[in-house]
Amino acid sequence: MNSLLLVILILLAGAVLSFLANRIMPILSGVMSFLSIGAAAVIFFVQVSAADSMAIPISGFSLHWGINAYSWLFGAMVLGLSVFVALYAIAFMKGKDRLGYFFFNFNLTIMAMMGIVFSTDWVSLFIFWEIMTWSSFLIIIYAGISEGRVGTKYMIFSAIGGYAMFMAILVSNSLLGSFQIADLVSGFGTLSLGNQALIGILFMVAFGVKSAVMPLHVWAPRAYADSPMAFTAIFSGLLSKMGIFGMGILMISVFAQGTIGQTFIFSNILAWLGAVTSVIATFYALIQKDAKRLLAYSSIAQLGYIIVGLAIGTPLSIMAALFLAVVHAIFKGTLFMVVGAVERQAGTTNMEELGALIRKMPWTFMAALFSIIALAGVPPLGGFVGKWMLYESLITSGFGANYFLVIMVFLSSTAAFLYSYRFLFGLFLGQEEPEFDHVKEAPAIMVVPMVVLALLLLVIGAFPGLLFEPIANAMAYMGVDVNWNMTVLSNVWGDEVHMEPLWTSILVMFVIGATFLTFKTRRNTRYVTTKDIHTSGEIPEAHENMTFSVNFYQPFERAIEPVMKRKMDTYYNRIGEGLESLFGFARKIYTGNGQTYAIYVIIFLSILILIGETIFNK
Amino acid sequence: MDEFWMKIIGFVATVLLAFVVGAVYGGLVRKIIARTQNRIGPPWYQNFIDILKLYSKSSAINHGFMQHIAPAMAITASVTVLMFVPVLTGDGWFPWFENLNFKGDLIFLVYMMVFGSLGMALGIGQTGNPNAAIGVSRGLSMMVGYEIPFVMALVALMVQTETTSITGLMEYQDQHGWLMFSSPFAFIAAVMAMLGMFHYGPFDVAFAPSELASGPPSEFGGKYLALMMTSGSIFAFAKLVLFVDIFMNGASNLIILVIKTLVLYMIPVLYGAVSPRYRTEQAIRYFWGWPTFFGALAIIFAIYY
Repeated sequence: MNSLLLVILILLAGAVLSFLANRIMPILSGVMSFLSIGAAAVIFFVQVSAADSMAIPISGFSLHWGINAYSWLFGAMVLGLSVFVALYAIAFMKGKDRLGYFFFNFNLTIMAMMGIVFSTDWVSLFIFWEIMTWSSFLIIIYAGISEGRVGTKYMIFSAIGGYAMFMAILVSNSLLGSFQIADLVSGFGTLSLGNQALIGILFMVAFGVKSAVMPLHVWAPRAYADSPMAFTAIFSGLLSKMGIFGMGILMISVFAQGTIGQTFIFSNILAWLGAVTSVIATFYALIQKDAKRLLAYSSIAQLGYIIVGLAIGTPLSIMAALFLAVVHAIFKGTLFMVVGAVERQAGTTNMEELGALIRKMPWTFMAALFSIIALAGVPPLGGFVGKWMLYESLITSGFGANYFLVIMVFLSSTAAFLYSYRFLFGLFLGQEEPEFDHVKEAPAIMVVPMVVLALLLLVIGAFPGLLFEPIANAMAYMGVDVNWNMTVLSNVWGDEVHMEPLWTSILVMFVIGATFLTFKTRRNTRYVTTKDIHTSGEIPEAHENMTFSVNFYQPFERAIEPVMKRKMDTYYNRIGEGLESLFGFARKIYTGNGQTYAIYVIIFLSILILIGETIFNK
Repeated sequence: MDEFWMKIIGFVATVLLAFVVGAVYGGLVRKIIARTQNRIGPPWYQNFIDILKLYSKSSAINHGFMQHIAPAMAITASVTVLMFVPVLTGDGWFPWFENLNFKGDLIFLVYMMVFGSLGMALGIGQTGNPNAAIGVSRGLSMMVGYEIPFVMALVALMVQTETTSITGLMEYQDQHGWLMFSSPFAFIAAVMAMLGMFHYGPFDVAFAPSELASGPPSEFGGKYLALMMTSGSIFAFAKLVLFVDIFMNGASNLIILVIKTLVLYMIPVLYGAVSPRYRTEQAIRYFWGWPTFFGALAIIFAIYY
């Protein structure tokens, strides 16, 4: 059997089986889901080769599936992360109700993502796109309809995106006579500039909704925060990358063929949208009280960088974008799993209440620490490599506006240190609270995926070439050649960063310092609780709360106050209110009263009698 | 093998030099600030006495793993930054001071500089001292302030010289003269950012002695504090050498290096000695005002250079 079809079928069968298994024993549901995703991953990594392709004929035309180096990169990302998250989900969802419902949609989402990756024509991509939207929507409303109407918002934006994509597909088909992605790439240059812009903008809206680019982002923070964390790891880590997948196809190969690719405005507007998204989202992330929301805004910000990289379009920047996409999937997946573990063990994710979980959940803390270091882009972990390439590509691009763009990106990623620290401090550090004394480390089945992924970030930091190789292959397939080296980063001016001496220096100094501190000291010292601290002579009462976690960044909030006054949400709400009053007006016409309708019929007939003769008797 | 040992000797010599110069500067600063406040002040070697005393002390308590290794993270970052900054140029008196300087670039250094503060911040967080946490919150907030003009200045330099490595910048200066003069706006922006970077008044919000009981380091004593002070001295020196390298074409021998770094260091010190403390948001707005304006000017200047 064709291996592509096999991957999809296994995932589909896993969805159905895990739904049914819930009837026998709830825990089996998660196990079924994990096994099917694991089997699909094994087949994908062992069996699938570039030669695989297939066509499913459906009355008159056929759906085409295939795989290339670019889609392999995204497919590997989807299945690679999903395996870990599925394992985690078994323990995370244990004891919750409607497991069949959850795992059915969970598997279906992953199947749809693999389908999107495999599609080589727009129609099957659109079908899988809609399956992905619907199954993820059903998981968002897993906990019921919340007061913010999160699911509704997600659905409205997804519908806008879906229609935009549908329209783009139809327009390109009517102009080029083909649904194939490859035909759009080759034929794009022959279209008029207006049609190029139309197709481009419609597709960008479609993919922009999923990757939460401003101004289409308003659904994202709540949707990420309100779904079960085991799914958010997929939602933020992978589902948003499907938007990047589509944008990549357009920006790397399609626009390069057309005249619109050469007009600087188009890609520059996108790059600036990405940068502004990342700055604003970062500012919102650092005023959040809830760790889930913090990560949700942070996801939007990180996707902003990726869009900047794609839009700039130099080989180095595309490489940076794809690198960041993969690394973001790993660390944000891990971080959402961390928050899920904390939520499950401590019962809340409010950073103003929580604190000092480091001694209770050390392994979870370790995973969180590595992921946060990667998120902040501090060397020597994987996140730094991507950030470095992005900055260098902007600085070496030789275009004036990009130098200010790099400042925007830098502002956002420096401010990211603030929420990075807030996250670790709020959950794991600070004052110990008696109400969290009972908290224990999460079960091993949750800890193992987190720690393995965190260690993966270390490996990518030491040997970024492991990731450069598939990315360079993907870019070569898209027609962009790029040089890479296992441990050396370099830009077009020939400046380099060597990871090897960096790691040596850090490891050697760290070992020396830690040994020095530990030698003779660690054994002779005793651990004291966080109540036993320097308080300038005052002795706090037992009930006095000395935690500093409310309004953590108040000074910074004051400094950025002017920026935060405006919210995109308000504009959409105004549009919504406008539409509601429009529908209210329509309601005045359709009163539901038979007598009113009778009047309408009479009015219509009298108009017809009065002017009908001149119209019909020509 | 000989080459390897030469490198090790060079490494140790560089770190020692950085520590000695940094600690002497620290002592001088204490003296200068004391004199401006009409006090006599400690002798210039006071920092050595303090550090030696602290190293000989033993600690009785710890606050957990993160707090225990935080000073090690700080010294790791300081020494690593120092390793990537060329201390002396050419065949100066000490040919050892070459280190790793050709293997990193400016963007990397900017990020590497944060490593230590982030490690320290984590250790400080575990102690649970509210004053320390307030200090960290203020310090990180202000960092967002001063990094913006600093990076603008760096971007301007990189665009103007078409290189992102420090050695590249120095080669450019060999041919075209000091960047301090050929890129004046970048220099102004960078120096203004430097005021915040050294945490002297009016930007001493993070360590505010009378307000936060010295804030971040307040739970660290003995060896922990000694290692932190050592790391601080090395880091201050590394930052100064970085500024000298990118704006004043480095130094070919120790005397010139000391003169150049000392002159540069006096700017934040003297500015700080006479200024009362800002509130944190005022400090942030300060950096996003004129310094950022000059940074933008520097980039525009570099584009049309």
